[in-house]
Amino acid sequence: MKKISTTCPWCGCGCGLYLHVENNLITGVSPSRKHPVNHGTLCVKGWNCHEFVHHPDRLTTPLIKDGKTAYRRASWEEALGKTAARLAEIKKQYGPDAIGILGSAKCTNEENFVLQKFARAVIGTNNVDHCARLCHSSTVGGLAAAFGSGAMTNSIDEIRDARVIFVIGSNTTEQHPMIGMHMLEAKDRGATIIVADPRRTQIAKFSHLHMRHRSGTDVALLNAMMNVIITEGLVDVSFIRQRTENFDDFEKRVLTFTPEVAEKITSVPADDIRKAARLYASEKRSMLFYSMGITQHITGVDNVRSCANLVMLTAHIGQPMTGLNPLRGQNNVQGACDVGALPDVYSGYQKVADPVARKKFELAWSRPMPEKPGLTLTEMIDAIHEGKIRALYIMGENPVISDPDSTHVRDALAKLDFLAVQDIFPSDTAEYAHVILPAASFAEKDGTYTNTERRVQKIRKAVPPVGEAKPDYEIICGIAQLMGYPMDYSAAHEIMEEIAILTPSYGGILHHRLDANFGLQWPCFGMDHPGTPYLHRKKFTRGMGAFIPVEFIPPAEPTDSEYPFILTTGRSYFHYHTGTMCRRTATLEREEPECMVEINPADAERLEIRANDLVRVTSRRGCLEVKARVTNTVPEGIIFIPFHFREAAVNLLTINAVDPNAKIPEFKVCAAAVGPVRRRPGTRQAPRIGYYEGMRIGLDLYIPPEEMQRRDK
Amino acid sequence: MIQTYILNKNHLSFWLRQLKSAHELIAPWRDASGDIVLTELSRMHETALDGPALMPSPKEFLLPQMEQLFCYSEEGIEEAVNKQSRVLFGIRPCDISAIKILDTFYLGKNKDTYYETRRNKTILVSIACNQPDPTCFCLGLGTGPFLKSGFDLQFTDLGDRFFVEAESENGMSLVRDFPHIFIEPKTVDSEDLYEARLASQSRFEKRVNLEQVRKSIQAGKVSDAFWESVAVRCFECGGCVYNCPVCTCFNVIDRPASVDTGKRIRLWDTCMFKGFTRTAGGVIPAEAKIHRTKRWFHHKLLHWPEQFGVFGCVGCGRCAVSCPGSIDMATVALKIKGSDQTEEKEA
Amino acid sequence: MPTPNIYLPFKTSIRDVKEVAKDVKLFSIVVPGDFTYQAGQFVMVSVLGAGEAPISITSTPGVSRDLELCVRTVGHVSSALNSLTTGDGIWVRGPYGRPFPVNGRQDTLFICGGIGIVPLRPLINQMMNTRAKTNKKATVTIMYGSRNPSEVLFLDEVAAWQDQGANVVLTVDTCQIESWKGCTGLVTEHFGKAKVNFKNSTAYICGPHVMIQAAMRDLSLMGMSDDHIITTLEAHMKCGVGKCGHCFCGGKLICEEGPVFSLEEIKKYNIKPGRDSLV
Repeated sequence: MKKISTTCPWCGCGCGLYLHVENNLITGVSPSRKHPVNHGTLCVKGWNCHEFVHHPDRLTTPLIKDGKTAYRRASWEEALGKTAARLAEIKKQYGPDAIGILGSAKCTNEENFVLQKFARAVIGTNNVDHCARLCHSSTVGGLAAAFGSGAMTNSIDEIRDARVIFVIGSNTTEQHPMIGMHMLEAKDRGATIIVADPRRTQIAKFSHLHMRHRSGTDVALLNAMMNVIITEGLVDVSFIRQRTENFDDFEKRVLTFTPEVAEKITSVPADDIRKAARLYASEKRSMLFYSMGITQHITGVDNVRSCANLVMLTAHIGQPMTGLNPLRGQNNVQGACDVGALPDVYSGYQKVADPVARKKFELAWSRPMPEKPGLTLTEMIDAIHEGKIRALYIMGENPVISDPDSTHVRDALAKLDFLAVQDIFPSDTAEYAHVILPAASFAEKDGTYTNTERRVQKIRKAVPPVGEAKPDYEIICGIAQLMGYPMDYSAAHEIMEEIAILTPSYGGILHHRLDANFGLQWPCFGMDHPGTPYLHRKKFTRGMGAFIPVEFIPPAEPTDSEYPFILTTGRSYFHYHTGTMCRRTATLEREEPECMVEINPADAERLEIRANDLVRVTSRRGCLEVKARVTNTVPEGIIFIPFHFREAAVNLLTINAVDPNAKIPEFKVCAAAVGPVRRRPGTRQAPRIGYYEGMRIGLDLYIPPEEMQRRDK
Repeated sequence: MIQTYILNKNHLSFWLRQLKSAHELIAPWRDASGDIVLTELSRMHETALDGPALMPSPKEFLLPQMEQLFCYSEEGIEEAVNKQSRVLFGIRPCDISAIKILDTFYLGKNKDTYYETRRNKTILVSIACNQPDPTCFCLGLGTGPFLKSGFDLQFTDLGDRFFVEAESENGMSLVRDFPHIFIEPKTVDSEDLYEARLASQSRFEKRVNLEQVRKSIQAGKVSDAFWESVAVRCFECGGCVYNCPVCTCFNVIDRPASVDTGKRIRLWDTCMFKGFTRTAGGVIPAEAKIHRTKRWFHHKLLHWPEQFGVFGCVGCGRCAVSCPGSIDMATVALKIKGSDQTEEKEA
Repeated sequence: MPTPNIYLPFKTSIRDVKEVAKDVKLFSIVVPGDFTYQAGQFVMVSVLGAGEAPISITSTPGVSRDLELCVRTVGHVSSALNSLTTGDGIWVRGPYGRPFPVNGRQDTLFICGGIGIVPLRPLINQMMNTRAKTNKKATVTIMYGSRNPSEVLFLDEVAAWQDQGANVVLTVDTCQIESWKGCTGLVTEHFGKAKVNFKNSTAYICGPHVMIQAAMRDLSLMGMSDDHIITTLEAHMKCGVGKCGHCFCGGKLICEEGPVFSLEEIKKYNIKPGRDSLV
């Protein structure tokens, strides 16, 4: 039995773990004891991350769609040839901007880098994006404007020594369990925890102060806190003078926002807001954490700016145990952004609009680069409807389940002239693909992931890929070469060398430096640079920190008498995103086999809904029938549905209103109505059929000829 | 009858290499990152015997986290039993104690074929702990830091040499062929052995009296409010159970590859999960976290002694390392003891 | 000699399938002659590919040639099982568990709820047979509650038991059919109709958890001694042989030391198979 050190493929914590391999099969997982994030612990997903690798549903050969629905097995040669030919045709006919490319926050830095190179150098378009659009694009945009760098400023290992931990819009113990662990440890050491979240999450149970503000009123809450800090003289004046700009403008705006005004909007008592502000401002070691609760709003960028204003106001930045810490959701969403799988930047956030940067990449890749920033993920879907995008190349994403307003997305994908999907499992998106390319999973390839604290860590090949599956970068290189662009890497570390050359912040990050001490935290400018545990030391990345005044804007879709509930979406502890991996993991699927809508007992009583009753949730976009979980976790007037379940895809209901700057959709607020589904008394609920069967029925893409004959008989 | 020998440390690599020719040799090894893991050793000199308790426990070599039970096809069922012969070198006395408990469980009534086959093919070479971890509490339980019996071979580090004790025929078979390196101990060696054991015992930071805790629970002195305070800190990760060298529960699932073929596998399972007890009809007996945490502690502290006469805990401290909420056996036991004592004082 | 592998099922086939109610099927399964069992035991049934589940035996030992299992579609395995038809292969191992204790007390009371009649059916049959043979005038009362008339299982057999002299009380939760001659309401509401001496009789109970709970409480209050109130419990099981740990409850493994327990044992060990304690 061999043990291979690697990095967890689930969330942004980036825990270190070992895969146990016996006879080329993964038999188990164990945590790394010295890893700075997990210290010998893992969450339930980490402990079970090995199970899906050898799942029989894995895609093992390329598949090509024949006719309307049937797929047939194809050779790599044919599948790559067809993809290259179709992309070339469409490029010729409609121009390079008729092609959209989606990278993946689940794939490695190397693969995303190669993919964006493929988009820019081979196709010639900046239409490259990935699911960071749906989680932290507001962070990238908002913090770039305020600080000059859109990443978690401090390190996870610092949390335990913090004195105040302010968590807003993050269910940390469930979604980033190992960061939650550090917070709990800090609490045991005497730290104060403040949570602002409409839901009473586990971290809220640990907190000293829990503010349950109405969904979508974060700006009001934060502005009021800053109002208290300014009026009570808790501001760090010297810091503001030395390191920031535009304070006066900002101050004028905030002074009108008293806690009493905010109380009316947020329904948080003014005294609680005062208390939170004093607690946060009066300690020097205060850390602020936020996540999707801040970013997934039409005011996502505004929310992020408010958070940035708050940390600058109190000088909680640029020092250890302080900072503004966005918790990135996916294992490599930080990395995918870093290496430029975004429409407006190259790797290291070098702007495509900047002629100097563009020149550099043109020289390196010996192709002219498009100047105009490309379309974002959400815009691409609309562009397909408008006929501007004719082909899509998707690497390891599942927009049908993950994007807002699923019907809109499905219609778009069905309209495409050509769709290639590269994935490890047949996803709902793959159903629309003309070519499906089987990719290697995290245990079957080498590469690096960048976790939420900017730590670039290695993943290592533990077992050979199943069937004919290949690492994603090999697939992309194959297509690039067929399209006449020489792109050939024999191993992942060669790609990393290219990243290091072209990306200042990754300048010193090479594979051989990542073996000891569990990787390096960027920025790491050279071979002797030790990495950066916390950002903005001495000065902000952009020079001066910018205060940006923010006005409160209510959510896009207010509740009314017809749709009286606020529907908010998110993740459950046992599942992960669109469920392609976790729902094929027996233990995880067993724990949470079906979608449940969380509803407050008072609402449930009024609507005559009992626990486990089937209820119908409707919005202006669609309707869903799910079982009710009657719980105090959600306050009155708010319902919560996780989005992992393809059979109850909550994104049928969500609104595709987006933030004007970041184009992030408002997943956290839309208006909905709830009602019980009445059954005749005495009748039984329909039996619960396992997801696994549903999956096989729905997605039996390939039927071997022998089996076909058998069925015909 | 225990045979004793002395092995010069310089001869260890040579001996290990000989073992490797006949068995799969599993030993602690230091990864580039500094972690010490139990893995197949390829370069003998790289074995790292100075580390803390290994994660997870050596249980995985007898009951792997994921194990195939059988393959099925139209022809029928084909049993999949692992017959690899193995030497586990450098495991700890607490691990041996735990394996003895597993033996009574799996090899008692209704023998588990898979466990039995692996167990019969595995030789256990333990190394006594001279440097117990801060999380260790085997001393009060008699499961460490060294054992008087129950091992195949037990090594004790005496600085430049190992004191080797062989108890079983399996253990003897590993040293018998090498009389030139396994030499007879002198009086000074025995004195050093005693000294090493004495010193080790004084290095324990934790003293946990599980018997006292058991009595407190039985006497009904541990309230549900206490268990609630424990349960609220549970992250439902299952780490305590996955890492525990004594926990035995597993789940069985089928993995169909096609309509007629596939395999049945078993996976480690933990009672910390809601779905662990969910019946087909959807009833969940242990729905609240408090029931599940309580159940785990009760099982280890009350029911194991009733059934097998020993605690379901060997004091290895692994749960202390792997619990994100710090509600491991030692912490909870000490809290119970603490609250019990304050009660007594108040009374 | 190597010990036989306790996890390997043997292959057999389905001789006959009958749909006895909506989503409920009765399977007759061919078993070898040396396959013996007692009332109250269960077998682990595999549908390869879907999984394995514990299922109560409903055929009468020594009378029925085949192994009969009655299954309602509730989960993963049972839905796979209920899609099988005559002649299909099926994998079985067992029998497992402690059977119903039969003691010499004169009066017997059976309380069944819904599918809960399945494990009690062989015992009722056995009792009716011995009663017929020995000509003893022991009273047998069968109280059987269902959700609605269409879900009453083994109606013909229930009628036969009545003909043989058993006192049968049928009840349904709700009834839209006018021709229904039985009672309505919960089983426990009709204890007055049971013609038994509670102090000198044995009760066998099986049904949904709430029903077991209520019935045991009421019988105990009416003076039946705890060791004569006997039930059989449902639990999640993966092995059936005391290894997987899923059915562990109050220090007891339901698969090995149950599934049949008396109220006395349930109280003693605090066995808690449902959300709330049974007592």
